[in-house]
Amino acid sequence: MGYLKEVFASRELLANLTLREVRGQYKRTIFGQLWSLANPLAAMVVYTFVFSFIFRIQPDAGDPSGLNVFALWLLCGLLPWTFFSNVINSGMGSLLINAGLVQKVYFSRIVLPLSYVGSIGFNWLFEMAVLVIALSIAGAFVLPWIPLMLLTMVILAIFATGVALMLSVANVHFRDTQYFVSILLQIWMYLTPIVYPIKLVATQSDEIGGLFGSNITLLDVYQINPMERFVSVFRQMLYDNRWPDPNDYLTIVIWALVSLVVGVLVFRRSEKGLAELL
Amino acid sequence: MTDQKLAVRVDDISKRFRLYKERNQTLKATVMRGRRSVHEDFWALRDVSFDVPEGSTFGLIGSNGSGKSTLLKCLAKIYYPEKGSITPYGKVAALLEVGSGFHPELSGRENIFLNGSILGMSRKEILSKYDEIVEFSGVSEFIDQPVKNYSSGMYVRLGFSIAIHVDPQILVVDEVLAVGDAEFQDKCRRKFSEFRDKGRTVILVSHSMEMVREMCDHAAWLNKGQLVASGEADPTIQAYLDSLGEAGEREGGHGGQAA
Ligand SMILES: Nc1ncnc2c1ncn2[C@@H]1O[C@H](COP(=O)(O)OP(=O)(O)OP(=O)(O)O)[C@@H](O)[C@H]1O
Ligand SMILES: [Mg+2]
Repeated sequence: MGYLKEVFASRELLANLTLREVRGQYKRTIFGQLWSLANPLAAMVVYTFVFSFIFRIQPDAGDPSGLNVFALWLLCGLLPWTFFSNVINSGMGSLLINAGLVQKVYFSRIVLPLSYVGSIGFNWLFEMAVLVIALSIAGAFVLPWIPLMLLTMVILAIFATGVALMLSVANVHFRDTQYFVSILLQIWMYLTPIVYPIKLVATQSDEIGGLFGSNITLLDVYQINPMERFVSVFRQMLYDNRWPDPNDYLTIVIWALVSLVVGVLVFRRSEKGLAELL
Repeated sequence: MTDQKLAVRVDDISKRFRLYKERNQTLKATVMRGRRSVHEDFWALRDVSFDVPEGSTFGLIGSNGSGKSTLLKCLAKIYYPEKGSITPYGKVAALLEVGSGFHPELSGRENIFLNGSILGMSRKEILSKYDEIVEFSGVSEFIDQPVKNYSSGMYVRLGFSIAIHVDPQILVVDEVLAVGDAEFQDKCRRKFSEFRDKGRTVILVSHSMEMVREMCDHAAWLNKGQLVASGEADPTIQAYLDSLGEAGEREGGHGGQAA
């Protein structure tokens, strides 16, 4: 409880550090904030070309929205994923990058990883706004889903925060963490149904049947991945325009809470020794 | 003397650093050495105790590597001592490095708000002191320029000006003033005495004995992590200078014998 109070007391600092990132990021560029759209757009073009045009992957049309645009379907999963992976990457390095600050000034250290969640979240919000506009133009009726979408974004942010907190501490102890994790994130992305629909996994899984004579299927194992659920929830809301499956929603809430609690506990335990380890 | 109020009590503190032989911060090293950790203990501070009276200007002196900055960092809650305690009675602002947290691309104005909040000021506080801060720093012409265009002296001026306006009970300064020009150093000196007149405490580290002699009324002398002397400034400084002189003479003597 005392810890939460301390973090709450640092909210202005958190806001200022977040602003530092947001404002500093695209200073002295001509296109400014528009640059934050460049990466997702480039990824969209590449993945659409490779997976839709060449591999002919065809996700089901949105139900009930009736949408059938691969690029939009892709973005509904890709944007949450890039947010997640950026938060992990930057949050993990936040203590090292700000070593000078940690060694010279006392403040609640948790604001450092949190400030990256804030600044990356800000970019994400911008991307999602553009996506919502694109979906509406394509004929989906997304507007009523915006409040739920925002809530889900917060839940994903909480999940990412917890993971980033754990990894930021691990990274101070073992600098290998960041290199290891960036590889892991690439693998993780392809283990999540972002560029291909999960029905392809389900087909394979049915063919293989129960693993090792049990009735656990490949699909069950595949679905342990929390990001699979997050992506699926985002698609149900934005692409299909229907209520997300309550089970899915409950699962992501639980993942988020567990991740945050563990993350904060780990972070708090090692916070005091950080300055001399850096 | 005993019933004088204290600003800081340093009670028998020891601070240890672990010095690792190999690069320890790799996974490989950890796996290789298993659960054993190969390190040497290095005590940067050992059983140091002294009191800093309230309202004093306190100098911390000693040669390079004697543990002065380490002590200040313990006071600023950046390091935590292995043994003993260091208790400040009042709000501490530590100026261990000026302008930490400045973002080079942001303007001086934006950095005042950023740095102020890093040092623990609220937005309202900063707003109310904003003019004073700019005025004291003397960089008002450049306040809307990104700070990366500042000279190192201007950088220090702005950083110092922010820190001093945190208005702490105890101000801790680790040799950061050296970069400012004579005018600014003079300004700081006046600010320090203003501070003292208000009953605030200043703890400063400096290698300039003239500065310590001129500004401080109390001092402590550290050598290799141990306290050699503390108390009134003049005798402490003299003892330190004498020890330097002796060391110098001894070396000189050796030289003479050899020749
Ligand atoms: N993070 C650290 N890890 C290991 N050793 C450290 C660390 N910080 C300081 N030391 C060691 O502790 C000793 C005291 O360092 P400190 O910076 O306190 O000296 P100082 O008195 O401030 O010296 P100077 O006058 O040069 O500023 C030094 O021998 C230094 O090598
Ligand atoms: Mg020092």
